[in-house]
Amino acid sequence: MAVKNVKKMLMLAGFSLLVSVNGFAEEQATTAKQVVENFQGQLLAVMKSGKQTDFAGRYSKLFDAVSKSHDLTKIARIVVGKEWEKLTEAQQQKLVEVFSKFSVASYAHNFKDYDGEAFVFDSEEETTKGGVVIHSHLTIPDEKDVKFDYMLKDNGGNWRIINIIANGVSDLALKRTEYTSVLQRDGFDALISKINEKIDNYSKL
Amino acid sequence: MSIFGNFCKHYSSQQMFVVLALAGTIGGCATASVEDQKIVANKADPYERINRKVFNFNDQLDNYVAEPIAKGYKAITPDFVQTGVFNFYNNLKNINVVFNDVLQAKFTQGAEDTSRFVVNSTLGLLGVVDVAKKIGLEQNDEDFEQTLAVWGVPRGPYMVLPLLGPVTARGIPGAVFDTAANPSSYVGAPVQLMSVLNTRANAEGSLKFIDEAALDPYVFTRESFLQWRNGLATDGKSSETADFEDDLGEESSSKTLADFNRKGFAGETQKFTDVSKSFTSVEQSFENTAKSFQNAADKLDKLKK
Repeated sequence: MAVKNVKKMLMLAGFSLLVSVNGFAEEQATTAKQVVENFQGQLLAVMKSGKQTDFAGRYSKLFDAVSKSHDLTKIARIVVGKEWEKLTEAQQQKLVEVFSKFSVASYAHNFKDYDGEAFVFDSEEETTKGGVVIHSHLTIPDEKDVKFDYMLKDNGGNWRIINIIANGVSDLALKRTEYTSVLQRDGFDALISKINEKIDNYSKL
Repeated sequence: MSIFGNFCKHYSSQQMFVVLALAGTIGGCATASVEDQKIVANKADPYERINRKVFNFNDQLDNYVAEPIAKGYKAITPDFVQTGVFNFYNNLKNINVVFNDVLQAKFTQGAEDTSRFVVNSTLGLLGVVDVAKKIGLEQNDEDFEQTLAVWGVPRGPYMVLPLLGPVTARGIPGAVFDTAANPSSYVGAPVQLMSVLNTRANAEGSLKFIDEAALDPYVFTRESFLQWRNGLATDGKSSETADFEDDLGEESSSKTLADFNRKGFAGETQKFTDVSKSFTSVEQSFENTAKSFQNAADKLDKLKK
């Protein structure tokens, strides 16, 4: 009898251990692929409700989605290249803040219609520097597919998107050349006011 | 971030070329005073000072001439006619695509593109209807500049030409060859004018996109043009996976552009190796070609039913 009880208890203990390990694993294991797919799902949802939601509505929905899936601080840092080091701390903060707004605003402006598009996962690839690239494509009825490659980096245990390559055109490389060029030519204040001007335009269009 | 994704979402790469070729035509006021400003040297763009002037010139020309005409054309021409006109010219381009498929030893794709041209020229009423797409023959994008790239010819400097827009040194002989290989080049000015007009009208949305998104339309156009052409030449295999981690100031921060350019060269060498590989597998290609002819025939049979 006693033996049976011990056995039962052991089994129970084992079981509960198993459950807790599983729970732990689930909490930890938001993979790079899941981060991308969650984000794509949220984007499609915003597109689907695009007709009923105004810019401000889409913006607030996407702000959460973008900041939870993108490493906006790192992206902002990369797009100004080595100029980052020359900025004061206050300027760096300002840049991250304005850049984040701009990123979300451009999503909110550009992704407002839905014509049956869908994202399809293709493959996953690890880069030499510990990053992950998620290869996927967007299908659009009656149109050629668009390749979307997401580059993710581990940021303190969380995978975050740092670049999106659409049909071979790298958003990060594009922005980086553009931003460093504006910074070097016109200076920091001009860069910020240009970005603000663009955000303003997006909200009105 | 990736607003560019949305750009691509709406425009096929064919249209994208048009957009970028026309993109010397946008964002006037933002760049108007650029001549007085200090120009930052970029290795890919040694003639930036002149290029910017031409870019601004094209921009003005578009604002005052091309845009109003294209808008007028759009207003009086129904959408299906615009699509038909686009398809017609696009179909003629396929002769050149097939040429370049062969020159790049892409025999399978060459066979598909030949079927595409044949199907659209016959069932598609001289190309006005894109029947081939409906049976799964996608439009491929090949031209002589890509062929030269595959052959290992270096890209050369970026230039903006008056009226014609962005090009690289390698693109000039490319454009001459492509023009010679396109039947519509021999028909006369009105036909070409129609093509240009229709193209400009179709590009309206994309030009608006660049205008909205770009902080510096000149740089935006140059970067997307160069990246896009590079992607085409390598068939997307050179997909940019640089993570720019080195730029974060944690390591030496002076090796940004230089690194980039060196990588470009490595890419060219890789391409060259790829080509020799592709030549050695010609036999395989022929087999695939035969198969794809068979497939195309099957698809046609299905279509007839």
